[in-house]
Order: sequence, then C-alpha cells, then structure tokens
Amino acid sequence: MTPASAGDIELHDLRDQQFLDEVHSFQFWFDSVEGYLTDRPYGRDADVAVPVLEPELADRLVTTLCNYCLGETAALDGASSLVHDAPTRNAKIFLATQVADEARHLEVFRYRLGELGIADPEAEIERRGNQALVEFRGELLDMIAAGDWPAAVFAQNVVLETLEYTVFRFHADNADEVTRQMLRGVVADERRHSGFGENHLGRWLATEPSGRQRLQAVRQRLDPLVAAIFSGALDDIGFAPADRPPLARDYVEAIDRLGLTA
Amino acid sequence: MSELETMIVVDGAGDGPRQRYELEDVGFREVPKQWRKFYRHWRGPGDALAPNEVICPICKVVIRSTRELRPGDKVYCMPCMSRMVVVRGADGRLEADVIF
Amino acid sequence: MSDFLSQYSIQRWLEACPQGYLDGTVYGYLPGQSEPEELLADEGMREQAISTTVQLVAGERAALAASSGLVNCAPDDASKLFLATQTLDEARHVEIFCQRLYDLGVKKEDLESTVARYANPNLVKFAEVLLAKVAAGDFIAGVVGQNIVLEGMAFSVFEMMEAGARQLNPKFAHTLTGTIADERRHVGFGENRIGSLIKQHPEKREEIEKMQEEMAYYMLAAFNDVFSNSPPPAAPSDAPEAEWHGVNLTAATPAQMEELLATTVIGEFKTRLNRIGLEYRQPKVPA
Repeated sequence: MTPASAGDIELHDLRDQQFLDEVHSFQFWFDSVEGYLTDRPYGRDADVAVPVLEPELADRLVTTLCNYCLGETAALDGASSLVHDAPTRNAKIFLATQVADEARHLEVFRYRLGELGIADPEAEIERRGNQALVEFRGELLDMIAAGDWPAAVFAQNVVLETLEYTVFRFHADNADEVTRQMLRGVVADERRHSGFGENHLGRWLATEPSGRQRLQAVRQRLDPLVAAIFSGALDDIGFAPADRPPLARDYVEAIDRLGLTA
Repeated sequence: MSELETMIVVDGAGDGPRQRYELEDVGFREVPKQWRKFYRHWRGPGDALAPNEVICPICKVVIRSTRELRPGDKVYCMPCMSRMVVVRGADGRLEADVIF
Repeated sequence: MSDFLSQYSIQRWLEACPQGYLDGTVYGYLPGQSEPEELLADEGMREQAISTTVQLVAGERAALAASSGLVNCAPDDASKLFLATQTLDEARHVEIFCQRLYDLGVKKEDLESTVARYANPNLVKFAEVLLAKVAAGDFIAGVVGQNIVLEGMAFSVFEMMEAGARQLNPKFAHTLTGTIADERRHVGFGENRIGSLIKQHPEKREEIEKMQEEMAYYMLAAFNDVFSNSPPPAAPSDAPEAEWHGVNLTAATPAQMEELLATTVIGEFKTRLNRIGLEYRQPKVPA
C-alpha cells in the first residue's frame, strides 16, 4: 500500500486515496506503534524508577486512574462494537487497531493501579467512578445498539477521544515520571482516534445535508456529561476552580470544524 | 528555517521560485520510520515555524514538506490521518484548514 | 483464571507479535519475497490461488466480526483485553490475504466482486451460524464457535497449506507461518477460558453442541466443494515433496487431501471439545 519509499517522494504529493489506504491499514499502525512502544513495557522506559508518592497524591492518582479505566472500557466496548457497522474495509481495519489501542490503555492504567497498591481494580473503579462517565458509556452503547453509526462515531471518536486526548496531555505535564511516560504513549494513539472520527464525519457531513442537525442534537445531549467529566477530571488531578486551564478548548474547536456549533 | 534542515535547491514551480528542503528525522516517533521526517513536535512558545512547516489544527503536530509551503498547497497529517489545505491566516502566517 | 489470562495480555502480545515474529515483515512476508513466476504465468494456477485466498479472506472477515463483537459481551476485563488483541490479529489477517489477492493480480476495485464470485457458499453459512450467536451477545457459544471451531479449522487448514507452500511458495508460506502463530493463541484462549465457563453453565451444553454440529456440517460441505467439486490442479511432476501428518501432499489426490483435512480437523475438534467438557457431534454427511 505504501506507494514508494519516502526517499523518493514528497509525502504531500500522494493522491487522497493512497493516503487513506496507507493510514487506515494495519501495517501503518504496526509501523507507527513500533516507534513508541518497542521495549517500553506497560508504556514506560524499562529502567524508569517507580516513584513513591505522598499518600494524598497517591489517592488522587488512584481516583484519576480509575476514571481513566472507566473511559477506556467505554472506548474499548464502543470501538469493538463499531467494527461490525463500519461502512468500509479500511474503516473496519482501522477500528480493529483502535480496539487494541484501547485495550492497551486499559491494561497500562490497571497496571499502574497495581503499583499504587490497588489489589482489586474492578471494585475500586466501581467505587470511585465518575457517574457522568458511566452515563456517557450508556449513551454510546445505546447509539451502537440502535445502529446509528454517525452518532456513535461522533460520541466515541470525536467527543470521548477529544476529552481523553486533552485531559491526558494536560495531566502528563503535571504527573510523576512513570505516569507521564505512560500518558504520552496513550496520547500518541489518541491522535489517530480523534483524527479518524473527525475526518470520517467531516466527509459524511459533506454529503449528508440532514446530518449536521442530527449530530447537533446528539452534541446537545452529551454536552452536560462532557462538562461534568472535564470538571471531575480536574477535581481528581487536584486543581482548584480558579486555577483550571481551558480544557474544553480542543473539544469546542473540533465541534466548530465540523460545523456543529449550535 | 529549522537548523536541522539544509536548503539545497530553488525550483521554479508555482508563482515563483520555491525553496526546497532536505528533511531529516528529528525524533517524531509516532508514524512509520519512512514518514517520520515529515513531522515534528511543537516545542512551545519559543518555537517558530519554518517556511516549509504548518501546524495541524486537529492534533497540533508540526507538518513539514520538502518544499516551501504556499496557500493552496495540500498537506497530510499522518498522526491524526487528516488532509488539509494551506491558507494564509488573519495575522499573515500560514495555517492549515482541514478538508473533509 | 486471572493467572492464565495474564499470559494473554496486550503487553505479552506486543512482545510476541510486533516485537517478535512479525518484526521486519511487510504484509506478513519478508521484504523482497514475491509470488512464484510460474504461478503468475499460469492462468489456471493463478485462478486457483485466487479462489483459495478468497476463502481465507472470507473466513478472516467472519473472525474479525466475531472477535470484535465478543469484546463487548466478555464478562471480565482480562477476556476483553485478549479479544482486543484477537480483533487486531484478525484484521491483520484480512489485510494480508487481501494483499495476496492484489499480489496475484486482482485490482483493488475488483476486490469485493472477486470475493463474492469465489467465496464458497457453505463457508458463508458456516460463518453465519457463528455470527448469529455473537449478535445475540452469547459469549460462551460465541467463543466456542470462534476460538474452538473456526480457529481450530483455520489452524489445521493453514498448517496444511503452509506445508504445501514451504518449498513452492516461500512468500505465501511465510505469511501463513505468522497467522498460525496467531491462531495458537486464539485456540489456547478458547480452551482455557471456556472450560471454566462451561462448568459454571452446564445448561448451555446442548445449544453449543448443536451449534458445533451445524458449523461442522458446513465446514465439511465446504471441504467437499473445494477438493471434489472443483479440485485444484495437480502439482507439477518435478514439484518438491511436501509432507503433512504423514501424507505426501504433492502426490495425494484431491479426495485423499479432503479426507486428510477433514479427519485432522475433526480429530482436533473432538480433543479440544472434550477438554472443555463438550461432546463432539458428528453432522450428517453433506450431499
């Protein structure tokens, strides 16, 4: 699928279909993750020392990671269920790579919980989970069960992925070294996921006049949950309301690019 | 111009001569090896874009080309799988608009 | 349960596959390998290779749909994680076998019509039986159908094809070697995970054994179609000997190959099903 070696060509001269065939393939995923996952067990350098955190900080991190696990489980269930309804082979193969990415994220977060002394992650996630995330997962799975592909891709690959992308990047800049490295690898994956969602829906909206109105309605339904999830994430990380960064900016920009601003 | 790049030729395509750039891999490891030289991480407020660079509005990675970029050029962002066109922003700097 | 499932983690998968036996491969084979010139030059052989590869694409598409569909109904995170790696494995298989079709001269725009033209109807029905269980959210039946029956069949078919291709077509043999390595994990998970669930849910046995009988019927019918109704061309007289399970594949007749494959796959089914507490049900012989 690779048209020629990069030594011979200007990447930006590829034809659109060549580019899409390349980036939606397993081979592309395989060669991409090689760059940042090889020899990095559980998403961090093999020789990085696991820091001992102050009890309050460790407790906050446990809550944060429990909610990351909740979000990643929603993304794993969502992406795997979307494979079946994907309209093209390329989309099916891309979503299969996303399924593996989401599962890896869940695994590395659970592993980090283990390092922080959590013996039963399931019970801890249940206890500390943000209700807005639980509701979001329910909304997403309902859209998939109803066979509403555009709404499900919007909820999963635009809303949820943009949320995660933003929170993880911000948290990585304010985390201990192990958590930081782990999050940076996850962010690299999220770029693909949110990019796929936005581009896929952008192409669909260009050919479907009624699509924008449908997705605006979905967006309005999800917005309160998005606000509650952002707010919960910042509480967990430990930011006072006055010091909070504008985390929703990426989300608003993505909505705006798709023309879904009400 | 990025210090790791060397201007090697000037060609006559488009509205006038364009600078050409020989790209080097500068450590962007999120795409297959053969394409890594076409991308780099944005280094923050002290960073500046070269004439062959533009920022992806979706994933904020710096996209690089072997030639000086001009409005109307098409560029691809592999890390987030997006296609975009180069435009001149209100402040006169080059930006990228996503093509759906 | 959690101890054995830790062997099926994403981390283990990354170490075994991208950093292990797939390292350095492109679409499952080594850079520089290609389909043999004699195959590409002989229209009959090329068409036969296309037809065979289409069956692999059809089977892997079913496996991709099934494994991804099972993630959401898995009862625990560890099973979800393993099925996520399997989803990716199956997507890779779809991609590399489609790539083989392109390497054999099928144009990209003709992929779907080629699959529709050559896909064996009995193989399609085999997949439909499985996918009905997945669509119903039946995790136990879905995993038995996918990881024991479908994967058990694929495992033996791939092994036989790899033995036959090792000398004649190293490129295709290399592709198959990687898929066989993947299938080992899949059948291993199926047996290890489902054994305990069958014990917890003995009431599911009847329904699952019935599904196995139905799937076995369509599998044998597909074998019959492939070997007897449209037999592959005989190997060239100077072809190197290829042995699998004590049989010389180069000299075997299509009927002998069909019997060998059916006997081997069914023997494997019996052993695997027995280990997880199920009885193999012999289907009626396909007409």
